[in-house]
Amino acid sequence: MSAPISPAARARRGAPPRPSAPSRLRYTLTQLGVLALVIVCLVLVDANWARLLEAPALSLNYGGLMVQGVVQNPFSEPYSQYWTDAILLMFESLQIAWIGTVIGAIFSFPIGFLAASNVSPRGVVIVTRQILNIIRAVPELVFAIAIMLPIFGLGPLAGALAIGVGSIGTLGKLTSEAIEAVPTGPGEATRSTGAGTLQTLRWAVTPQILPEVIAFWLYRFEINIRASAILGILGAGGVGSLLAQVFERRDWERIGITLTVIIVVTVIVDQISGAVRHRVISGVPVAGAKALV
Amino acid sequence: MTTATPSRTSTARPPRPRPRLGTYIGLAAVVAITVWAGIGIEFDLRPLWTDLGRGWFIIQEFLAPNWSYIGRTIGPFIETLSIAVIATLVGCAVGLGMSLLASRVTTANPVLYRAAKLFLSVVRSLPDVGYGLLFFALVGAGSLAGILALIMFNIGIIAKLTSETIDAVDRGPLEAADSTGASALQRARFAVVPMILPNYLSYCLYVFELNIRASVVIGIVGGGGIGSSISVEFARFNYSNVSAIVVLLIVVVFAIDLLSQSLRRRLT
Amino acid sequence: MISFRDVTVTYPTGTVGLDSVTLDIEPGEFVVVVGLSGAGKSTLVRSINGLVPVTSGELLVDDVHVDGAKPAQLRRLRSRIGMIFQSFNLVGRISVLQNVLVGRLHATPLLLSLFGFFRPADKEKAFEALERVGIVEKAYVRASQLSGGQQQRVAIARVLAQDPTVILADEPVASLDPPTAHMVMRDLERINDELGITTIVNLHFLDLARRYADRIIGMREGRVVFDGPPAEADDAVFEQIYGRSLTADDVLSEEEQAEEDALQAQAAAELDAEESRKATPA
Repeated sequence: MSAPISPAARARRGAPPRPSAPSRLRYTLTQLGVLALVIVCLVLVDANWARLLEAPALSLNYGGLMVQGVVQNPFSEPYSQYWTDAILLMFESLQIAWIGTVIGAIFSFPIGFLAASNVSPRGVVIVTRQILNIIRAVPELVFAIAIMLPIFGLGPLAGALAIGVGSIGTLGKLTSEAIEAVPTGPGEATRSTGAGTLQTLRWAVTPQILPEVIAFWLYRFEINIRASAILGILGAGGVGSLLAQVFERRDWERIGITLTVIIVVTVIVDQISGAVRHRVISGVPVAGAKALV
Repeated sequence: MTTATPSRTSTARPPRPRPRLGTYIGLAAVVAITVWAGIGIEFDLRPLWTDLGRGWFIIQEFLAPNWSYIGRTIGPFIETLSIAVIATLVGCAVGLGMSLLASRVTTANPVLYRAAKLFLSVVRSLPDVGYGLLFFALVGAGSLAGILALIMFNIGIIAKLTSETIDAVDRGPLEAADSTGASALQRARFAVVPMILPNYLSYCLYVFELNIRASVVIGIVGGGGIGSSISVEFARFNYSNVSAIVVLLIVVVFAIDLLSQSLRRRLT
Repeated sequence: MISFRDVTVTYPTGTVGLDSVTLDIEPGEFVVVVGLSGAGKSTLVRSINGLVPVTSGELLVDDVHVDGAKPAQLRRLRSRIGMIFQSFNLVGRISVLQNVLVGRLHATPLLLSLFGFFRPADKEKAFEALERVGIVEKAYVRASQLSGGQQQRVAIARVLAQDPTVILADEPVASLDPPTAHMVMRDLERINDELGITTIVNLHFLDLARRYADRIIGMREGRVVFDGPPAEADDAVFEQIYGRSLTADDVLSEEEQAEEDALQAQAAAELDAEESRKATPA
């Protein structure tokens, strides 16, 4: 390509003029706006930034202690007790999460239909959706402390029920969205044979959404494991209570052991759940699932 | 399974396929786990009948929010929102970088890719409260710990969601970038990022909403913001104050939900 | 100058893409590769810039080995080879100009490019490329808003911005309607004439091959079964390459052919008029 030619020379050649670059004003204003927002937030937050400087050295120190705790012979006292406590309580967290997910799944399934605009009348849909929104806006923690703990007292049951109610919110919304995304063909065909509404839902809609919905349930289970650890801190059972205790006592070796148990169990459950989800979505057990549905 | 030889008059009906063993095992496992779990947590709904009276008193207070208290919650709410904004910005930026490492599409080196995926699994496995406790011990209670905890929480979520989107991206423009001799980073910036941008931004908005709820929880364990207020009022048995805070929380989350929906529409 | 020396390409699935291919392509040639799907024509074209790795044999472009090239070497090599694709492969959400500037990434320092800054000289090159394909007025338009033919022209502009010595085209017109297909082929022909860039195109429309090629290479099952000027490539030769008699899918339709001839004549007349305008100083 030769040296640049002036616009005048280009015009003489009969070539079209080059367009001018579009205004960048809106983009720049948005960037400035975001920057301003960040600065305002930093000021409002009133955080003790100085502590951040000490953090790296401290974390190396504590990290070392944690690792020390983990590598001690797990069969010797008191370490074997630490490991056992952590593992048993982690299992309790799994139980809490499981029951919570089961409750959420069972109730969210019919609620999902109530909230789906292609299934339920408009009034029902609006009311159900708002109820689901309210449930979703409130963290499970608040459900726990406001309702479950007062009635059921301290313990894993309260946690499971709080998680159950919370799960109904999210699973209900996801299920209703899956139902609304279903192609209308099979439903129409079923209706044309004279089948009633419930029958249509069971035979035309449910088989189509089932893999996706099961995947939602499994994903929710993974999230609920984290939630149950949180509730444990309030006394709703599971490994959370242990975590709060050991942090308060600054028992770093024990903290290391507990965190390791949490991480390892969670990662393993995540992998299993992910694998099952994968199989369900890619529809491997076709004959079996349909025969039972 | 027998296959009948086709005759001109009729074909033998195939025997009904038995459900695969896997499905039976799966269902049995689910039932077994549920029973085990139910026993473990002492599932017993009787308190709904017996102890409802005891709990009802408390619930009644919750159902009568103390509206006059709301004025004093504005400050903590703003702090919670600020924590969420900062944590979202930092977490999403770092998360984007990590997501590039955690996708085969943008990272050719298999060692780097697997290390990134492992790191992210571990980061995601700790609940946000776990990070809260960790950072309290490191930098003391208060909003700084809350911000740091949420940043770790965000990185995990954003990196996972974004890397899955990158995995599914249209390879055509990537080939075109390769064919011009662009480097992997340039290809990521000019071909990958523009294509995933709408999805990435909607993940960031989603994470911002999650952060608001999560910072309430972290605040309860000592991270500043509205969570501390809830925790304090709860400890003082001022349940009607707590419910006022919760009502305001619902309103705020609704408002942010609407805001993010309209933002999402303008971005795509 | 492109040299294949006993090149074999075997895919991980076991399919043989190229089977001991040996040929040379001189600078400035306009080569069209034809053959059935899976015959190896796509593999041939894509092996030249290393998008498909060579399993054995030597492949040299301008005396540089493509086979076994290290990543940095490969990138340098690719910066001199431009490629256009059947599905255009533009990044839809960014502007036409930015898509063309992708062709200058290899010459832009990493840090600058990550922030989206290009040197003024590179921007000038991009604009000139757009002018050469006649689409400069769309420079700031989002790429996804253009028609198929326009998108392919943007892709050609991207290639031109690289200042390449070789242009590869993998089924560049398969997604376009006949008049647009001819327009794109004419652009490629013009670029080959005016700038002398070696051009290798992969086509399945035989009449396009006969009309635009200087040299036709016919592939079948990974081997070269024909190599010569279009004049020698009659229907019998094509049947040999395809292993079956010709069908309507192999050519553009005849009525559109006549329409095309008329368009060609008109375009030629316009070109002459412009040439005479240029000859007289303004």
